[in-house]
Amino acid sequence: MRARWWRRRRLRSKIFLPFSVLILTILLATVWVVGTAGGAWVERSIKGQFEVTGNAFRALMAERDERLRGETTLLAGDFALKRAIATYDPDTLASVALNYRERIGGDLLWITDRSGSLLADSRERTAVGTAVSGGAPLAVAIATVAPAAAVAEVDGGLMQLVAVPVLAPDPIGFLVAGEAIDDATAAQLHDTTGTTVSFVTRSRIFASSWPPAVRTDAAQADPPVTREQLARAAAVAVEQTTFLVRQGRTRLLSILIPIDAALPEPLYALVQDSYERALGPLVDLPKRAAGLGLAALVGALVVGAILAASIAAPLQALVAGMRRVLAGDFVQRLDIRCEDEIGYLARSFNDMVAGLEERERIKETFGRFVSHDVAAAVLGGHMPLGGEWREVTILFQDVRGFTALAERTAPPVLVGIVNRLFTEMVAAVEAQGGVIRQFTGDGVMALFGAPVQHSDDPARAVRAALDMVARLPALNARLAAERLSPLRIGIGIHTGDVVAGRFGPDRRSEYGVVGDAPNLANRIEELNKKLHTTILVSGVTAARLGSEFHLGRRVVLPVKGKDKPVEVVEVLGCESATCQVGYARDSALRP
Amino acid sequence: MRQTEETRERIWQGRCRRLLVPRVSRIVMTLVAVSALPSARAADLGGRVVDAAGNGVREAVVFVQTPPPNLMPPAHPLPAVMDQIHKTFVPHVLPIVVGTEVSFPNHDQIHHHVYSFSDAKTFEIPLYKGETAAPVRFDRLGAVKVGCNIHDFMSAVILVVPTPYFAMTDESGAFTMRDLPSGTYGVVVWQENSKTPLDDTLQTVEVGASAPRLTFTLDVAAPRARPAARGPGSYE
Repeated sequence: MRARWWRRRRLRSKIFLPFSVLILTILLATVWVVGTAGGAWVERSIKGQFEVTGNAFRALMAERDERLRGETTLLAGDFALKRAIATYDPDTLASVALNYRERIGGDLLWITDRSGSLLADSRERTAVGTAVSGGAPLAVAIATVAPAAAVAEVDGGLMQLVAVPVLAPDPIGFLVAGEAIDDATAAQLHDTTGTTVSFVTRSRIFASSWPPAVRTDAAQADPPVTREQLARAAAVAVEQTTFLVRQGRTRLLSILIPIDAALPEPLYALVQDSYERALGPLVDLPKRAAGLGLAALVGALVVGAILAASIAAPLQALVAGMRRVLAGDFVQRLDIRCEDEIGYLARSFNDMVAGLEERERIKETFGRFVSHDVAAAVLGGHMPLGGEWREVTILFQDVRGFTALAERTAPPVLVGIVNRLFTEMVAAVEAQGGVIRQFTGDGVMALFGAPVQHSDDPARAVRAALDMVARLPALNARLAAERLSPLRIGIGIHTGDVVAGRFGPDRRSEYGVVGDAPNLANRIEELNKKLHTTILVSGVTAARLGSEFHLGRRVVLPVKGKDKPVEVVEVLGCESATCQVGYARDSALRP
Repeated sequence: MRQTEETRERIWQGRCRRLLVPRVSRIVMTLVAVSALPSARAADLGGRVVDAAGNGVREAVVFVQTPPPNLMPPAHPLPAVMDQIHKTFVPHVLPIVVGTEVSFPNHDQIHHHVYSFSDAKTFEIPLYKGETAAPVRFDRLGAVKVGCNIHDFMSAVILVVPTPYFAMTDESGAFTMRDLPSGTYGVVVWQENSKTPLDDTLQTVEVGASAPRLTFTLDVAAPRARPAARGPGSYE
């Protein structure tokens, strides 16, 4: 079914379809390969970027921690501070806290007594006497009497805190310095690393480099950080795996980096980057591939059409040519100038038509019964077909008593008999290089010496006549087997000059001879009836025969339509034992 | 050469610990004993201070918190000395009876800035050398943490106690309080790293012709890491 469908497709489709399938396959494969590799590459690259962000974040925290610790430790060693603390005067200490905070440039400076009870707050927010030792890092510093650092929540914000004991030489109090981890910190990281950073717990967003509108607006359809995502993220955070967060049309590749913090919930740095942005040009790849594919398909269609046309046009010309040949037009030639298979086919076609034309011409000229030799001679151009005088030997053969035979035989049987006879007669003529000029109903007229001339045309004619006679017994035997009467033939041969050439209007012209010789040969044949002979040749012919033939008596007889009597000779046989005729029982010429 | 010098220094330090401190306290105690002459009979009170594991606790001060009612503290206690040698306060723990004047001679070639912000005594002797500094009188009970402003690693404790009856434990944690007049004493022990509150260590003891041996058990924390001494003359 499919094979038939394919067979019925036009050449253009057959070229275009495989092209299209090939192009589409290659395109799809390319898109798939690039998509897969690109996706992996992007993920790797973003992960790498995340690592950079993570490292940058850790470095930033470490640097801030180190700076805070160093500066606060330096501050704690200040004797004036120790003296001031020893006063335990709240107003003095409040101003000291403010002044010292400016010295170290942090966001917060607390001064506490040795038990962690607040003596002063640089921001003057937390009341004096509040126990701030509950949280890290102060509790640790109190326990170890050594500097301690931690990320903790202060007044709703994240702070990187450092607690340092004030030793005199035993602790008389503690300094707690803090630097906020806020939007500015996130923005700084964003500027450094190019990725978005948020500081989150499962229930809170402390700070982010996302614009506040995106982050906190409840109307925002897809905030980049939702509680659910945080919950999900927190579950996988241990493995530090990346996960995708959808924000509208953007996919955010995200990762949670745990931060050590003194908070009830784990604190993370949520690092995010747009998958699409990282994909960059790869995003448009399918579209571009589709465009390319479309262009390639159109190209394939055009190329297919051109190719098909270049193949189909000559083929169609060939088909048309063949139809004309079918209609009998052998004159046409195809004008296809290619050197390829099609050109070869066209040349073969032209040769074929030329061959057909010549054969047709020969057939038209000589009829059906032209021997291969003659045809070869004609086709070889050795034989002029124009008019010319030429000496030819003409042979007439006739069936004796044919009228009576025709009367008592059914026509189909008669035609069969005649045709079998003709088969033998034609074979005998062609065997000697003669040409059948015409069939006379019960006999044939053959020419020897035209259109092909031989040096021994009269002898050939006589040999053909002897051959005809020799073939008869076998034919008669077959006829007898069919209970049919045997056939007897008579043959007359004459040699004379005739005008040979093509006669007749163009399409119906035939090769023929015009002159007195054919008539005379016919008359000589008719003499057989009267003389009861089988083969009679004219004296002219007899004079041209060699010694190979046994000739009978020469007689001179008047001939119908001729003023002068004609000399005829009976042929009795030849040197070869196979062509003996002998005298007929009732031959008038029997000695 | 350096080793010889080092050895000599160590011997000198050792002598300070072994000779100087007991000598000072012994002088004080003798003086106290002399001032308390009305009670003719006297006995030595000895014992040991151990930690939870039973190991002796050194540099613990066992002192009388509540003396018998007839025993009066000395009106003018003898002065005491806290030396500064090789950027170290000597002794590290100095128990004194309340009202004692302590001088802080500086035997180093460099300045020191002795101070304390403790509740029992806040004082400051700004940068000085030699023996120019005036003595400081300690007239409130309690532990006075002494430091040097320019050498964070230097620290000492002056323990101001109510009576002249006190003794310091040796390396094995043993102590002996000498020549206690007869009577009932409330005795406590203080140690720099002790986590046991002072009142919890109180033991009441009857001193007659003789006295029972006392054993104090303290919960002692590991000593806090202090800034290491640096510079010339440092052996830590």
